[in-house]
Amino acid sequence: MDIKEDAENVFPWDGTLTSSDFFRAAHMFSDKWRRFNNSVPPWLWVPCPKHCLASSHEVEGYLSLKKMFLLKSSEKKQDAGSLISKEESNMLEDEEPFDCATLGPESDYHEINHYDFHVVYSASYKVPVLYFRAYHSDGQPLLFSEIEKDLPGLSVKLLSESKWTFITQEEHPYLNRPWYKLHPCGTSEWMKLLFSTHKCLTTNGSTIEHYLISWFSVVGQVFGLKIPLDMLNCS
Amino acid sequence: MATDSPGSVRKVVVLLRATGDAPILKQAKFKIAGTDKFAKVIDFLRRQLHRDTLFVYVNSAFSPNPDESVIDLYKNFGIDGKLVVNYACSMAWG
Repeated sequence: MDIKEDAENVFPWDGTLTSSDFFRAAHMFSDKWRRFNNSVPPWLWVPCPKHCLASSHEVEGYLSLKKMFLLKSSEKKQDAGSLISKEESNMLEDEEPFDCATLGPESDYHEINHYDFHVVYSASYKVPVLYFRAYHSDGQPLLFSEIEKDLPGLSVKLLSESKWTFITQEEHPYLNRPWYKLHPCGTSEWMKLLFSTHKCLTTNGSTIEHYLISWFSVVGQVFGLKIPLDMLNCS
Repeated sequence: MATDSPGSVRKVVVLLRATGDAPILKQAKFKIAGTDKFAKVIDFLRRQLHRDTLFVYVNSAFSPNPDESVIDLYKNFGIDGKLVVNYACSMAWG
């Protein structure tokens, strides 16, 4: 209890980062990703010394993950209720079957599309923002309708409901080319929520160290990307 | 050996904890088979709260992918014999 109160006093935190926090967080994330995720491409820091929006900051740049491929979730239709103990709960028994619309045997022969992801710091929202682009193996860019087919069902649903506040195409802040972007307006709010129960925050104040891992646990879901659970360990 | 008989499937106690302005559930604690996906917990919350979009996370500042299995989450984040799942009614996007 005391610890919690202390933590609140020490961290009246609004879920945002400064650009130098972002620089630190990005390097920690990239190191940890490499350690726990060596079967997939690494996140690399791309320095951008001359960026006009920045006020003489030596740490300008973004994280880049190239040629990632998205694998469809292996979620199967589960036999609802049968595995839940009857006395404890019968509330789950009217379980509806999972939506399998995004699965299907044809995904086995689908060509694998490549995704490039960039994590760019937004000076106006003071949070990281995910930019991405997608292309076929021959380098041809994917149409958005093709990207949609690679996304989990929940993202597709969100797209139809929140057309302008979820994924839009915008100019990449460093490359000045159109990239897709996940909207950052809610980010600081949900980051604050995520860290409200974070035990590391209260013991060693490792918010920055953990920031991008926690952040990616949310944004990765948009693409069905998982974080290895070992990466979450505090030590 | 996969079987549905209750004796052989490891059960996990899940405690659902409301945060922010989310309503508290009448039954916040239940058992679920460890082999189930986290999607099942999210789906249960959605139906109980009649909301399509929820923000669901566990301790350690982590929002699990729906495809994670409950037992893996329990092994990594379980405390005192249960997996605490926090939920808020805010949306991540939009």
